[in-house]
Amino acid sequence: MRAAITIWHKHMTKLRLHPEEAVGLLIQPIMWVVLFGVGMRGLIGQGMGIEEEAYMAFMVPGIIALTALGAAIAGGVVWLSERLQGIVKEYLVAPIARLSILVGNAMSIVTKSVFQAVIIFIVGALMGAQVSLNPLGWLGGLVLVAGYGAGFAGIALAGASKSNDIGAYHMLIFLFNLPLLFLSNALYPLEMLPRWMEIGARLNPTSYVVDGLRQMVFENGAELAGGETLSLGLCFVVVAAFAVLGMGAAYMVFRKTVQ
Amino acid sequence: MPAPTLLYSSAGFSYDDIMNENNHSESVIIAEGLVKRYSKDVLAVDGVDIVIPANIVYALLGPNGAGKTTMISMLTTLIEPTAGSARVKGFDVVRRADEVRKRIGVTFQEMILDEELTGRQVLDFHGRLYGQPKAKRRAKIAELLALVELEDAADRRCATYSGGMKRRLELARGLMTEPEVLFLDEPTLGLDPQNRVSIWEYVRNLKADLGLSLLFTTHYMEEAEQMADRVGIIDHGRIVVEGSPRALVDQMGEDTIRILGRGDSRAFVETLQALPFVETVVEGESVIQLGVDSGSKRLAEVVTLANTDGFTIDDISVAKPSLGDVFLKYTGRQLRDK
Repeated sequence: MRAAITIWHKHMTKLRLHPEEAVGLLIQPIMWVVLFGVGMRGLIGQGMGIEEEAYMAFMVPGIIALTALGAAIAGGVVWLSERLQGIVKEYLVAPIARLSILVGNAMSIVTKSVFQAVIIFIVGALMGAQVSLNPLGWLGGLVLVAGYGAGFAGIALAGASKSNDIGAYHMLIFLFNLPLLFLSNALYPLEMLPRWMEIGARLNPTSYVVDGLRQMVFENGAELAGGETLSLGLCFVVVAAFAVLGMGAAYMVFRKTVQ
Repeated sequence: MPAPTLLYSSAGFSYDDIMNENNHSESVIIAEGLVKRYSKDVLAVDGVDIVIPANIVYALLGPNGAGKTTMISMLTTLIEPTAGSARVKGFDVVRRADEVRKRIGVTFQEMILDEELTGRQVLDFHGRLYGQPKAKRRAKIAELLALVELEDAADRRCATYSGGMKRRLELARGLMTEPEVLFLDEPTLGLDPQNRVSIWEYVRNLKADLGLSLLFTTHYMEEAEQMADRVGIIDHGRIVVEGSPRALVDQMGEDTIRILGRGDSRAFVETLQALPFVETVVEGESVIQLGVDSGSKRLAEVVTLANTDGFTIDDISVAKPSLGDVFLKYTGRQLRDK
């Protein structure tokens, strides 16, 4: 754990020394909410027959999930470039658990995701989404984002442990990225989907983090997801399982690179 | 596989001396039948046995692709051997990797630095990775920055460092956790001659001050000759000969005559082999090399014999033998500096 924290701290130090990246982390979610959100709420809000503010609350959790995906992919690139540059060798000859190297990287990714999620909550609220005032709801929401971030960080780190160039990595990640976003309830309510897509969405952890966020962080986001929402307990279980599976996958792939 | 030749020198450092001196303490590195196969066609290390006694500087000398880096990678627990075993400080590199890792310092062939960080930060994060307490880190950083003369640059980003400065910082990082065994993989690769010399000066001081054991790889024969107490010449994944640089060079005769020429070399080589003053004859790809008792005295004789045998000499030179000549003798190829 000490080693994981050291690696995490090193990443955060580098982030601080790189104001461009920090600004990017800040600006990117704002742009998503403002540009994508405003455009969509006009179009879809009316189509669904709901108020624009309500659609905002419906959609912001989806943007959070999407941004967490982006953070994981970027974190995978950090790991891949550390591997290709050989910086990973410094960790590998140190007396630290192999898993802690991955955990340190995942912690960096999760930190960035949670930071971005907070920004999106705030911007979303400013754009008219009604935010819950219950601090426990916020805390629960951030826990869900962290778990989801860790799970996808695991997938990204597994991909980055296996590929040997940035292009191959992006191709691999792209295959996960799109279905995880679109085959979910992030952009449209579950009940509006055709049967096969609904099944896909129910198998997708993104649906659970998005639904959980709607229930806990936004006043009326959940109602808009249709009459039936996923149970909150189930959301936490699925996201936790996703986090464990993702990190497990990363560990398995990473172990092989040592042989 | 053929057993590597062990050479004992009559003068100075001998293998027996070293072994006797260290009988009480165990050898630092012991490798037995070490093999690394990357794929069906790529056999990087092909059965290496080495025993490295404590407190000496050992050089693995060989051309690029000989298996030097793979050897270091296995001994430093970066990769697992395909077969055979190795122990560092008595600990198996696979089963007790963590114990090995606690006791070693490594610098890699490539420059591996977080360029965004300052020199001081690089050393500090490294110490933290090993769980060094803060006070210890601070003291160690001050000491090492002084050793590698980077005090003035310590708070600048590494990206602004020259190649030589980066190497020095890496050396300091390798020493940060007070290793008992230091591995340096091609420590002077890509450095200009001036920086090469200064890196070796630091290493020389280290050895005197700390008495640590050191294994380095190089393809510069002068470095091995000057810095190492023992040299293992490695080619195609095998140690072809091992000994003190002095003993290795001494067996080549007093002087070396190097002949480049054209024509039927076979008859000429046979003639040379029959001569009493010729101690060794090595025929390389384009060069014939003789170890003789006295180069300047025998030069004329050799030229006359070449004429008799119908061999045209393009170039002939006399030199003191070097490890390069030893390499040629055991591999039939020249070890080039480039």
